[in-house]
Amino acid sequence: MSSLRSIRVRVNGIEREGQVEPRLLLVDFLREHLGLTGTHIGCDTTSCGACTVLMDGRSLKSCTAFAVQADGREITTVEGVAADGQLHPLQEAFREQHALQCGYCTPGMVMSALYLLSRNPNPTESQIRRAIAGNLCRCTGYLNIIAAVKAAALKLNTRRAAI
Amino acid sequence: MSDSGREAGGHGATRSSGRQVGLALPRKEDIDLLTGRGTYVGDLQLPGMLWAAIYRSPMPHARLRRVDLEKAAGLPGVVLVLSGRELPDYVVPLSPFPFQSRDPFRAGNPTIKFPDHFCLARDKVRFVGEPVAAVVATDKYIAEDAVELVEADFDPLPPVVDPEEALKPGAPLLYNDWGDNLFLRFRVGADGEEAFRQADLVIRERIRSSRFTGTPIEPRGILARYEPTDRLLTIWSSTQIPHILSTLLEDTLRIPGLKVRVIAPRIGGGFGQKWGYYPEESLIPLLAILSGRPVKWIETRSEHMMATIHARDQIHDLEAAVTKDGRILGLRDRIIADAGVAYPVGGLASIVTTSMFVPGAYKIRHYQAEVRAVTTNKAPYGAHRGFGKADACFAIERLVQRVADRLGLDPAEVRFRNFIQPEDFPYISATGSRYDSGNYPAALTKALELAEYEKWRQEQARLREQGRYLGIGIGLMVEPSSSTRMGSYNSGYYSVTLRIDPMGRVFVLTGGNDEGQGHATTISQLVADELGVPFDDILVIEGDTLECPYGSGSYASRFSVVGASAVILAARQMREKVLKIAAVLLGEPEATLTMETSRIFVKDRPEKAVTLVDVAKTAYYAIFRLPEGVEPELLLTYHYRDPNVGFQPDEHGRVPMFSTFPYDANVAVVEVIPDTGQVKILKYVSVHDCGNMINPAIVQGQHVGALVHGLGGAMYEEIIYDETGQLLTGSFKDYFVPTAMEVPNFILDHLVTPNPFTPGGFKGAGETGTVGPPPVLCNAVEDALKPLGIKVQKLPLSPSSIRDAIREALPRAG
Repeated sequence: MSSLRSIRVRVNGIEREGQVEPRLLLVDFLREHLGLTGTHIGCDTTSCGACTVLMDGRSLKSCTAFAVQADGREITTVEGVAADGQLHPLQEAFREQHALQCGYCTPGMVMSALYLLSRNPNPTESQIRRAIAGNLCRCTGYLNIIAAVKAAALKLNTRRAAI
Repeated sequence: MSDSGREAGGHGATRSSGRQVGLALPRKEDIDLLTGRGTYVGDLQLPGMLWAAIYRSPMPHARLRRVDLEKAAGLPGVVLVLSGRELPDYVVPLSPFPFQSRDPFRAGNPTIKFPDHFCLARDKVRFVGEPVAAVVATDKYIAEDAVELVEADFDPLPPVVDPEEALKPGAPLLYNDWGDNLFLRFRVGADGEEAFRQADLVIRERIRSSRFTGTPIEPRGILARYEPTDRLLTIWSSTQIPHILSTLLEDTLRIPGLKVRVIAPRIGGGFGQKWGYYPEESLIPLLAILSGRPVKWIETRSEHMMATIHARDQIHDLEAAVTKDGRILGLRDRIIADAGVAYPVGGLASIVTTSMFVPGAYKIRHYQAEVRAVTTNKAPYGAHRGFGKADACFAIERLVQRVADRLGLDPAEVRFRNFIQPEDFPYISATGSRYDSGNYPAALTKALELAEYEKWRQEQARLREQGRYLGIGIGLMVEPSSSTRMGSYNSGYYSVTLRIDPMGRVFVLTGGNDEGQGHATTISQLVADELGVPFDDILVIEGDTLECPYGSGSYASRFSVVGASAVILAARQMREKVLKIAAVLLGEPEATLTMETSRIFVKDRPEKAVTLVDVAKTAYYAIFRLPEGVEPELLLTYHYRDPNVGFQPDEHGRVPMFSTFPYDANVAVVEVIPDTGQVKILKYVSVHDCGNMINPAIVQGQHVGALVHGLGGAMYEEIIYDETGQLLTGSFKDYFVPTAMEVPNFILDHLVTPNPFTPGGFKGAGETGTVGPPPVLCNAVEDALKPLGIKVQKLPLSPSSIRDAIREALPRAG
């Protein structure tokens, strides 16, 4: 196969190095090379969003980026969302609103919603729907996910106000 | 969306005492799933593990002339290549999925056929996507590269695409030795000539559904490891039926002394598509045996669309004997199902199910149906949430709409006049099922109220004057749950093993399986109540054939019916044993004792107590203190038999195949935009009854998810083959599942009529919602377009098909 390239990627706050083929997809780098299997694969056409991560804070479908494109960048996966053994308020809200069933789309949903809330602390229902329109779920019918994102916005705003 | 029954749970909030069943507790499963620790098949790694990839037929129907694997085998990193003609002698054709056993439907059943399919095609291919050759390599990328190097030559044969054409004499044959393309013919019910003689008129309608399916976001996947010394084959598979898979594999890979252990780890959705026996499920284990190393295969979405089961796709030619006031006296149905390639995946059972339940919620005493399942050059046909029952409801709910239209009656009124009445339960249907309980008039009345039916009828009349097309669709869908098929592995029981260890921790092992339903939570709720132990002290283990009692897995919404019943009765038996031992320890009569939060005490003297740990340690370490007849350890297995099903069909094929009958009344209000053909859903009401609920949040979550599956089939999803047999919808770019943008804010309510045949009063839940939207939205659109005289003939209700129908009708309507 083609020659290997060295990459350095900061993943969930930790500097990681890899020797990768140029064609290696970012999602496979995360899953197979780094063992971060929380990022899932559900399609091969950039349609389902199960593989969504954040790259330099922006949401990205990691099945449609090469690992070499992440060289020198910062990636956040679902494993990096909870901190100090505490669920993130968004994760708490997913649990409280029963916004997940089989859980397979959940990491991608969480990452897309996290990106939305990072840009827009008070999203309307239609903004939430639009923000997760690239993430398919076959279990929940989405309504509880929408409710969870709304609830998370409220939690985060309350916390901010308290600080 | 209404929030009835929802408790603001709070993260980790559980009650330590008081009844847990009926509470909307947050799920035990969620924290792992939210933090990326789900561990699905694709996440597993074993030392020395290899990857498999599959070369699939690009041809719908062809003789396989030659498969050349030399180039593929020469690629560095490739460990093994295999074609169908190189299969070892110990590999036999895929066992008939036992749901298709010959016995169940013998009565009234002249035709059922079982072809021989090997896990790789040997001389002929019969659909685009059929496995032809496999390669095994050191990584996924190399395996996929090697598949590109496979060379195969085919002699094309004429494709069989249209099921009605396929039945004509002289049609090309998929299986030459059959002599025709008829996979199954089944008749049920007795002729209702008398009803047709008494009728004021006979209404004949052709109702056709489309081909669609479940598409769980996790595709299928298998990891196999073989340990030759013990002849132990371990399979991690994304399957709904681990025990059955182990049995089928032992039957297909005939290595003397082979033992198969199947582990279904976390499953990313099933919806029926993981309820079957696929070629890959014996192929991948075979590759592990041949290579001597663990082998993993994860289905791509493209493979999934072409090779994992499709569903629905039936043609119903209905004749209804009706009176002028809208009473349906008799019904005949001639059904054709496009069953695709004749794989052992359970599609025939779904088609038979359809034929049993076309009378739906209505008291139709004379009913007869004939089903013909036709084999075609398409992916196999099988289970999808709503299994055959969705097809039956589609037919009857569309027919009732047409009856109302023909007679100039209100479609709600026609339903009220024909409903099985609350006092009729338990009701024996024309095909022999015993409907457990229900109140259809109350459910529809409630749904009409929530929809503000009268107001919208007035609004409809007002808007029609302005040339706008508003429509109201109604349906009451009965969705039989928890099936049994005589002589098949689906044999009407459910086993649960309960174990309490010396430290008082409770382990519940079942013959079921979880694909997202939340069994760890609901089983814990049941056991907490029945046994009297804390919710958090309970661990639920499912999906490992070595640890768990045998069982047929998860399908047909059977958990809350037979599964929950087995859990309850196992827990009651365990409680009895615990109290017996405690009685000795306390020196008090057993009848005076009770247990709460793992503490056993005298009811009127709560201070006189021992703990479950005291009892457990006695059962394990101080067995000399055990009362007469009480065995050591706290371990038991309970086998629950379904009391509301039957096993022997009568001479008309009638048999109670399903145990309980949840239902859902739906009312939809839509506006059709004539210029674009777009259907806007203005309101969608669902009033659902699944009896008592174990966890209302879980029920509601599954119900909404199910409604959205139905919405997809009604509005967007269609599997399309062209006239040459090529699949046109091979990815999520062409097969449109609903996104968050399309889902309406459903108005939901529940009725509760407890099931008298289960100890908890539960019915099945989780599938019923799937059934309503296709007929209800078709009815709504047809109602909207009534001024143009348009009959909706086709699903999905795509803008282009509606625009075409309007364009054609407008000149006619003037």
